Amino acid sequence: MSLESIATYVQSLPFSAAMRGETSGTAWLFPIVETCHIFMLAIVFGSIAMMDLRLLGVASKNTSITRLASETLPWTWTAWVAAAITGSMMYAAKAVVYTENFQVRMKFLCMGLAGINMLVFHFGAYRSVSAWDASPSPPSAARVAGGLSLSLWIAVIFFGRWIGFTT
Amino acid sequence: MFRPFADWLSGTRISVALQNAEWVIPTSQSIHIVSVSILFASAVMVNLRLLGVGIRGRSVSQLTSNVLPWMWGALAALIFTGTVQTIAEPVRQFVAPVFWAKMIMIVVVALLTVTFSKAVQRHAQQWDRADTRPRAAKAFAIGSTLLWMAIITCGRFIGYTYSFYL
Repeated sequence: MSLESIATYVQSLPFSAAMRGETSGTAWLFPIVETCHIFMLAIVFGSIAMMDLRLLGVASKNTSITRLASETLPWTWTAWVAAAITGSMMYAAKAVVYTENFQVRMKFLCMGLAGINMLVFHFGAYRSVSAWDASPSPPSAARVAGGLSLSLWIAVIFFGRWIGFTT
Repeated sequence: MFRPFADWLSGTRISVALQNAEWVIPTSQSIHIVSVSILFASAVMVNLRLLGVGIRGRSVSQLTSNVLPWMWGALAALIFTGTVQTIAEPVRQFVAPVFWAKMIMIVVVALLTVTFSKAVQRHAQQWDRADTRPRAAKAFAIGSTLLWMAIITCGRFIGYTYSFYL
């Protein structure tokens, strides 16, 4: 089963027609779902940025890294799940076009790279966090991870916004 | 009443230049979303802390002093990119009632936030303890979160509603 045939099937579902506003009473469904997606992506990006800026040694310097992580990560993950759900709902509306779209592919690529970066950091430099937890300027491995994460998530937002201009 | 002004603005050289550079509006909107994310997430974190929900790592005064400079920086970037988008597409913005609703709510929430941050800075100890925190804290937390959500919603709906008023 090819990606294209899955996309064609998804797009043919009644739900997808509703997301396109083709069923009665669904004219505002897409904008409402999209607005919820913005709320959620704002929490995801904003909370990740707080953590990344702390790792870069430029924000929340008087707060320990583990404390900041325990404070923000549950919100990051919860909002990420909600953003993934609302994002999938929008994807269903024009699944075939989105699957072929360059910006969509780049967005997923950047999220994948951000995930790999997070895993490398978590199972690498972060294991010795107790040694630099309260330090206002973390070691270079942590700063690189923070800088990469911040850049990749900004790229995710840019590609995401560009989808609307190219589909 | 704003339509003649919008029509005049859209004919100015700067507006025409921005309209003709295809990358300007998507780039400006992307920076606008990055900035609103920093602002909204910071506001929500502070407000959850005030409500005693989920965020407990830092005291109210510490969290506020950590995020406030970033919130004002993000607001400056939002005003700049918003101005670029308005100069590029003045009619789209000025005819939409949600645009004006958004502007009014931004002024209200900015004034509330200034009042809140000054109170926290002056009476940090009182604000840091849940039992001595002013009652207005919870009203501010709920009110400002709802205002930011309404501002984001109005912002997104400019694009979906302006054509009704042309």
